[in-house]
Amino acid sequence: MRVVGTSVERLDAIKKVTGSAQFADDIQFSRPLFAQVKRSPYAHAKILKIDTSKAEQLYGVRCVITGEYYKKRAGLYLEDKNFLAVGTAKFKGEPVAAVAAESKEIAEEACKLIEVEYEELPAVFDSLDGMKPDAPLIHPDLHTYKVAPIFYPQKGTNISHHYVLRKGDAEKAFKEAYKTFDNSFYIPHVQHVPIEPHACTAQYMPDGELCIWAACQSPFAVRRALAETFDFPLNKIRVISKAVGGGFGCKAGTTLEGIVIPLAMLCPGRPVKLTYTREDEFQYAYVRQGLHIRIQTAVNKDGKIIGSKNVLAWDGGAYTEYGVNIVKAAGWGCVGPYDIENIATDSYCVYTNHPVGGPYRGFGMSEIHFAIEQNLDMVANEMGISPLDIRRINGIRPGGVSATGQVIDVAGYQECLEKAAALIEYDKPCEPSGNPRKVRGKGLAGGWKAPSMPTDAQSSVIIRMNEDGTFILLCSCHDMGQGSDTVMAQIAAETLTVDVSKITVRTGDTDHTPYEWQTVASRSTYCAGNATKLAAEDLRDKILEVAQIKMGTWKKDLYLEDGYVRRVFYPDIKVPISTFALGLMLPDQSGIAGPMIGVGSYTVPNNIAADIKTGLSPKPVAFWTMGVNGAEVEVDLDTGKVKVLKMVSVFDAGKVINPQMYEGQAEGAMVQAMGTALWEELKLKEGKVMNPSFVDYKIPTFDDMPELIVEVVENAEPTGPYGARGIGEIVMVPGAPAIANAVANATGVRFTRMPLMPDVVLAALKAKK
Amino acid sequence: MKDFQYLLPQTLEEAVRLKEEYDKAAVFMAGATDIVVRMRDYLLTPEYVIDLKKIPGLDGITFSKEEGLHIGCLATMNEIAGNEDVRKYYPTLAAAAESVGSRQVRNRATCVGNIVNASPLADTATPLYCYDAVLEILGPNGKREIPITEFILFVRKVALERGELVTGIRVPYREAEGEFRKIARRDQVDLSTVCGTVLKFGDEYHIAMGSVAPTPLRLKKTEELLAGKKLTKELIDEAAELAPTEVNPIDDVRASKQYRLDMVSYIVRDVLTKLA
Repeated sequence: MRVVGTSVERLDAIKKVTGSAQFADDIQFSRPLFAQVKRSPYAHAKILKIDTSKAEQLYGVRCVITGEYYKKRAGLYLEDKNFLAVGTAKFKGEPVAAVAAESKEIAEEACKLIEVEYEELPAVFDSLDGMKPDAPLIHPDLHTYKVAPIFYPQKGTNISHHYVLRKGDAEKAFKEAYKTFDNSFYIPHVQHVPIEPHACTAQYMPDGELCIWAACQSPFAVRRALAETFDFPLNKIRVISKAVGGGFGCKAGTTLEGIVIPLAMLCPGRPVKLTYTREDEFQYAYVRQGLHIRIQTAVNKDGKIIGSKNVLAWDGGAYTEYGVNIVKAAGWGCVGPYDIENIATDSYCVYTNHPVGGPYRGFGMSEIHFAIEQNLDMVANEMGISPLDIRRINGIRPGGVSATGQVIDVAGYQECLEKAAALIEYDKPCEPSGNPRKVRGKGLAGGWKAPSMPTDAQSSVIIRMNEDGTFILLCSCHDMGQGSDTVMAQIAAETLTVDVSKITVRTGDTDHTPYEWQTVASRSTYCAGNATKLAAEDLRDKILEVAQIKMGTWKKDLYLEDGYVRRVFYPDIKVPISTFALGLMLPDQSGIAGPMIGVGSYTVPNNIAADIKTGLSPKPVAFWTMGVNGAEVEVDLDTGKVKVLKMVSVFDAGKVINPQMYEGQAEGAMVQAMGTALWEELKLKEGKVMNPSFVDYKIPTFDDMPELIVEVVENAEPTGPYGARGIGEIVMVPGAPAIANAVANATGVRFTRMPLMPDVVLAALKAKK
Repeated sequence: MKDFQYLLPQTLEEAVRLKEEYDKAAVFMAGATDIVVRMRDYLLTPEYVIDLKKIPGLDGITFSKEEGLHIGCLATMNEIAGNEDVRKYYPTLAAAAESVGSRQVRNRATCVGNIVNASPLADTATPLYCYDAVLEILGPNGKREIPITEFILFVRKVALERGELVTGIRVPYREAEGEFRKIARRDQVDLSTVCGTVLKFGDEYHIAMGSVAPTPLRLKKTEELLAGKKLTKELIDEAAELAPTEVNPIDDVRASKQYRLDMVSYIVRDVLTKLA
């Protein structure tokens, strides 16, 4: 292949490094209004009265709204969310009113003048508490909410989804087991911390058209959710997404858009803008859900896991419109990349009075694998088997079966395992630190992930040929730093046999770029990539259709190479493809055909929903991507500080489209995983975020970067474009447990809760002594 | 941020006069790395901000063995950390200055600002406590000096009278061995969970700890225990056990109280062991 598999320069590189890329907040509007939000000081409270009269009288205020103004609920999978609280405020910081004013300062001042009377209600701050029968109900009308048919809210409870998986006979396996294990873990909330905070401007025109400029990963999903909430036909609502400075999931759904739109509707013609501060981002955008997870394991005497029972209690926060799908995805992936015959899993999505949970890189996999992979090491230690061997024994192989009963034809797990173990030199002890108070250890962890999306999630791509033989590729899978623009250009360039520089990619405008379900789920290279390939093939076919007239032979005698149409039997006879850009001019100067446009529409084939009672499906997902991380750490026995010295990454990517971008993804993912393992936690105290800024929410700096080694395994995905499958999220998934396993290896102390902060580590080391 | 009037005096006298006039409604600004953050969060809402940066002669760092070190109130953390005399004669102060925030912050932040801000975890405080540094103060009634240990009174409270400002810090010169230690969650760009300095002047010891009480502290009992004695393992153990009894830290989002006690003990033990 000419272009696929090469490290072509990112299409957005120059714009990004020169600071000239335009992000949502950069756009300048004429006569803008600025929005600000009045937020609830309580985690759970009944709203008795809101008096906005003083705010309305403030000079420069254009309009003030409360939840009463637009009561319709929104939600991607479960319509449980009001953008402005209606009746009760369900988390600390939930919007209760909003203002649009001539300046940000006036809007802020106006918010202070809004008077709200509350009656505080008993609240839920833990998912296990929220599941208790006497827990205060956060959504008493849950059973009346509109919900996608694959989710099962439980009437009269805080459980917005209960996914049940029953494969084989777990009870029998536990009776027959040589040994059984029972381990519990807790994974706290973390935040995505994209470098660009959320921003949105909405402009409602007097003729009824609404335009939204938002920092968003998924313009079409956002358009649909907002259209349904605010009753717009889809041809009257337009979502534009410019450059996005990192999403990691938090820009996938709707967050602040729904606050700005009703303000804009009251001020026709005036753009209304709201940009979150970093502190807003930590508290009011999405967070990764907290998770209590209990894993019971039944093992035979050879270390083969014969049964697995899992209970997952997710802390979904005040609204779980998106979170329910994470809970389901975690159920599908519940045992990791291991072939286990008997499984019983219950995954619960629980409302709490915490910030709203949402998608985060890994979509549940990062959280559950922190438990799965540590549990494996714990089982291995008890059984006297090496952590490497227990993974060799149980790790999935081609033809193996997933938790839902899907036969996994392509499974590179074992190759990744051997390669990662070799790279981290797992069989050798660590080099001594030279200081007896600094101990070292190594850890391995595997993981897998599948795109969790509707069974019929769709993508489409349009490629237009310009008169000079260059191309404009239109798609709506959004580049937020992961590199999808470049990947689409490479796939199109490969198919059209031209240089990548001939292809310009335009995205993110629901009026002008074609439909894409969402840019999430590690699905873009696969789904949008397939649509791109289909569009390029369609365009190629159309070119050849016309070329056969020009070149005096049948279409089947023609092919593309280096931007020329050539004849199979006389390859020296060639015509540049630009000749056909606008169709073809015949010798008499009349024209035929017309401008060349290739269209590709793609839907994941043969994905089947899981059964409501057993959770089983022979193919609930398009593919599983799997692999292994290794880590070497040094633990300071005096300060409890953990330093990661080295990490290795080996995943089965199917086919790497761009090696350098792959490496960037894998390295970034390891460092992000390290951040969650060592420092990151949204510290919540009775619903209040105690560390809503970088002062006390620490993410890694360059100084913390360990040695990073990235290798890859390529077992082609049969249905993927050029054999590729998605990798964006999975490369983060086993990082945190690999570090935790290495710490346990170094110290003999097991940490079942992340992050491994110095005070926690030191306290545990002292307790062990 | 609340609106304020920005004042730019050209002389110290003018600065004092303005501050005397506006008193609590005004705040002095040097690097602004503390006050801007606090103003943005409405923790500080001055009506007047008096910028000292146009006043000449306040950014010097001078040293002689006789006069000791003098740090002007506009000398930045990076200037202090990079100053050859400071590095040679006050390495703990250089290390402390270099541990503050990020390089960009250190380009603006001043040592005097760090002290006047009076945070319990001010990184440059503990070496200055150990060296018995003295703050030079100018006010409507002229100049006066005050030892740093008497200057910081409580969290963000200092012994400045109406109209007064700190023009510089004088650090007496004494030949010393020892170390500054910063225990933080992350090695770069982080606040101290605990910071501390242990200095040995001949057979006299000065120990100061930060982020373990409302102000930085000198550990007088531990210093007395060590004074005049040879550092044996037993003595070091005793000092490491005594030191945490002299501090009173809290639990917060950065660490547990117990961890801070452990770190005080560790810093004392580790530096003394290196000095033994």
